[in-house]
Formats: sequence, structure tokens, C-alpha cells
Amino acid sequence: MITLRGLTKRFGPVTAVDDLTVDIAPGRVTGFLGPNGAGKSTTMRMVLGLDAPTAGRALVAGRPYRELRRPLHEVGALLDARAVHPARSGRAHLLALARSNGIPGRRVDEVLALAGLDDRAAAKPGRALSLGMAQRLGIAGALLGDPPVLMFDEPVNGLDPDGVRWIRELTGRLAAEGRTVLVSSHLMSEMEQTAGHLVVIGRGRLIADAPVGELLATGGSVRVRGPQPEGLSRLAARLTAEGAAVDGDGAGGFTVTGVTAGRVGDLAYELGVVLHELTPVTATLEQAFMELTADAVEYASGVAR
Amino acid sequence: MSAAVRTVAAPAVAARRGEALAGAVAAEWTRLVSIRTTWWTLLAGVLLMAATSAQLAIYAQNSNTSADPTDDRGIVTAGSVAIDALDLTQYAVLALGLLAITTEFTSGTIRSTLTATPSRGTVLAAKAVVTGAVTFAYGLLLGLIGVAVAVPVLGPWGRTPVAATVGDVLAVAAYLALVGVLALGLGAVLRSAVLTLIVLLAVLMIVPLSLQEPDITVLTRIADGFPGVAGRHFMTGDGDPYPAVVGLLVLAGWAAAALAAGRWALRRRDA
Repeated sequence: MITLRGLTKRFGPVTAVDDLTVDIAPGRVTGFLGPNGAGKSTTMRMVLGLDAPTAGRALVAGRPYRELRRPLHEVGALLDARAVHPARSGRAHLLALARSNGIPGRRVDEVLALAGLDDRAAAKPGRALSLGMAQRLGIAGALLGDPPVLMFDEPVNGLDPDGVRWIRELTGRLAAEGRTVLVSSHLMSEMEQTAGHLVVIGRGRLIADAPVGELLATGGSVRVRGPQPEGLSRLAARLTAEGAAVDGDGAGGFTVTGVTAGRVGDLAYELGVVLHELTPVTATLEQAFMELTADAVEYASGVAR
Repeated sequence: MSAAVRTVAAPAVAARRGEALAGAVAAEWTRLVSIRTTWWTLLAGVLLMAATSAQLAIYAQNSNTSADPTDDRGIVTAGSVAIDALDLTQYAVLALGLLAITTEFTSGTIRSTLTATPSRGTVLAAKAVVTGAVTFAYGLLLGLIGVAVAVPVLGPWGRTPVAATVGDVLAVAAYLALVGVLALGLGAVLRSAVLTLIVLLAVLMIVPLSLQEPDITVLTRIADGFPGVAGRHFMTGDGDPYPAVVGLLVLAGWAAAALAAGRWALRRRDA
């Protein structure tokens, strides 16, 4: 369990994280979404005690990170995969981390195998690692202490399709074991497939904290098509009057949001308009995300003025 | 829930701190020996010591104008040659000390280090223990090399009294361990290897050298407070203006102050 309470971080005049209050629950993969610069990495760094919050608290299992005794047993994190000494081998990098937390050396071999790094890859110095290998090494490091809480910052960056699938399965498996798994990304499509729950932030503020399905529903629309242009425009006018948003009422049909397909059908019947298609369309996560963050950006710039 | 966790007895806190420090020391040792730079630096120091003490011994021999060494024995001790050779050789040790922390900042590994050991004080203490122990042992080796090279070159103009030579080698080791830790603490504050080296150069050589005007006693006394000069008074035991032990304490004070500043900087700043 990760608990954020009023978490705020300001760098001079810039507010990177703004009064964030969220619980990241165990047993599911929580996607941490936001455009670049939304404050995802800063939030994770505050959870790890690397950055001190300007206000508020970030707790792991109810305690601030800096109070954890052997933190690798409590939290595993992949932050910046590139952060390996250029001349130090991946194995030695992990070995140093393991020793600092009293983890036996054989566990290093275990996590290297788990991460799909063979002996040759593990012996390479940091400068010779590809981004994909560095990501796998970082994930191996996160798994060292077999922790109940895991945080991965953009883990699929630089991975080939095989690696992306591996991350997807790994995060799913870790969550199924009852762990807290927080995965940040700006790739909505990736989150759609891996996460069960989403925390969306924009400009450091919480935009949404909901199950994936619920977020998808908010962006849903209804596609309407029919043979009578005149009838369709009457239907469109009626829908607009009811507060729905009608988009692209060209000759053959339109798309409407903010209303259910059933209501559109009822209205068409009432107005005597012939319909050839009446399809509820589930939004992609990407659309839902765009809609959510667009509001946040408008709101934020409105405040700035 | 958190209140219950926080009520831990003091001995338990001390025990867990000891455990964390032991782990951090083991980690630092692994970090130090797993990069080739360490070994190249150590080799460079050995070569510097051998070359510099040979050169200084040749100078000592050349400047001796007596035709008959039996008249004028023991002009130079081998230990003093080793001590003089440190002016140059110490940079290998300084590099070792400052690189232990500055490479963590340049490569970004400081974040994984602090994630594994959240206590900044523990991380820096572990680095100081490893740096101090390694540079002390290495200092013994360098001192012995300096003496071993100086003895045959000095020939009849050299002197190697056993007790004094052992004392010189130990003093060399203590001096190098303390300036190594000084470099580490300064590196933790400044974060950049180049900047740290410049400041070390200024503090150990440039500033005291420019202060040591023979006619202006006040400036010379100020220079005596600098770590390099204090270390020299400690190693040579010249007793002017203070006894050797004061020199040692002044140097140790600088190292301790650098560590304290480094700890403060690590705690205060975001990683």
C-alpha cells in the first residue's frame, strides 16, 4: 500500500506535484498516467524519500520511506534505468545493492535470471548496456528484496515487443501475488492492457482515480447513421437541446457523446427518423485520457491568467 | 499504526543502525573494487611514489657537497623522502576519496544507493569507513615503497633508523587516510569531481603556499591552520609552531568538518 496525503512539491515557482491524495492498493496493477512533465517521476521520487515533499506525506506501509530499516525488502523501484556506473558490471551493481540490505549474493543470480539477463549480459559494464538491457537490470534490482510494493517508472521504454509482453506478464503476476504494483507511463494503449486501476495526473494534480473500465465509459459515444439527412438533423438538434454533443453531422450520420444509445433510439422513434445504425462506441483509453487532461490544462492555464 | 511502529526501544535503534552501517560498508566495498578506475588509480599512486621519491633522493644526494660520507652521515632519512614525495603522490589518494561520491552523482547511481540505504548519514559514514581504511592500508604500502626506493638511491647519504622509519610510514598512512576522507566529504558537498579537485588543490597547496611569506609571521601562522601544512607538521614532527599531535588534530578536524558538511548537503538536497 502506498499512501499519498496532500503531497506537494514545488521547485521555485513551479509546482510539480500539487496536493496529491491517493491510495495505491495492493493486489492490482495501478497505472500512473499523465503527459510528460505531469509530475509522475517526482511523485515516485518522493515516495522513495529521494525528494523531500514541500508539503504533505508519502507513506509506504504506513511509514515514511526514510524510516524503513531494510527498504529493498519493502519497496522495489525502477526509476532511471540508465543510472548504472559506466564502468561497473550489472552484476556488481546489483551485488552492492544486495549487500547493503543483507540480501545473499545468490539472490542476485535469481533476479538476473528472472529479468532474462544471462551471464554475458550481467558482466557487461554499464556503458555497454542497451536501454532494453538496462531496463531489465533495473527491474532485477527492484525485485532483489522480494518486496510487497513495486514501482516502475516507464518500464517499457526501450524494450522490444518481446520485452513489453514480458513486463505486462510480470506486473500482472506480481499484482496477482497480492503486491502493490504502480506502473507509470504516458502510453495509454499499454496501460489499457496491463492496468486494472488508473491514477491520472496532469500538471501535478489528480485528474482521475478509477478502474480502467469506468474511465473508458466516460469517453464513450454513440454512432448514428440513417438514410434521411433531414431527419438526422432534426434528431441532432433534439440531442443538442438535451445537452449532448453532436459531432460531424454530415450527409450519412453523426457521432454523439453525453447520451446513451438507448436514449438516441427512443428519440429517433419519437421523431420518426429511420436509423440504419445505432452503435455505442467505447472510447480508447487514449481518447479518455486526452479528454481528461485537456480539461486539466485549460483549467490550469485559466488559473495562471 | 505508524505510532506503534515508531515506539522502538533505543538499543534496538542502535542495533539496526549498526546493521545498516555494516550493510552499507559491504556495499561500498563492492562498489570500490568493481570498477577498474580504482585499480588504475592505485597503480598510478604507486608509480608516482616510486618516481618522486627516487627523484627527491637523487636531489638529496646531489646537493650533498661533502666528498666523504663518513664525515657527514645521516643527512637525510629515507622516511623524510617518502614524506616529501607525498606532495605529488597524494593526488592518487584524493582521487580515490572524491570519486567514491562524485561518480554517484554523475552516473545517477546515488538514487539507487539512497533507495537501498535511506539514511544519508549512514551512506556517507560507510563511504568514509571504506575510503579511510583503504587509503590507510594503501598509505602504508606507499610509505614502504617510498622508503624502499629512497634507501638504495641515497646510498651512504641516507639513514634508516627503524623506529623513526616505522613512525614515518604510519604517519604517511594516517595523513593519506585523513586527506582521502577530506576529499570524500568535499565531494559530497560539491558533487563535481573537477570542482572538488580544484578546491582541494587550493586548500592543500595554493592558498597556504601563497600565505607562507617568510617575513610575515601572521600569514605563516594562518597557513599553519590549513590541512596540508598541518599534516606536514604532523608527519615531520618539526615542533614549530605546534607539536606533531596538534598537526594531526588540525588535519582530523578538517576531515571531520568536510564529512559533516557532506552529510548536511546530502540530507538537505534532493538526490
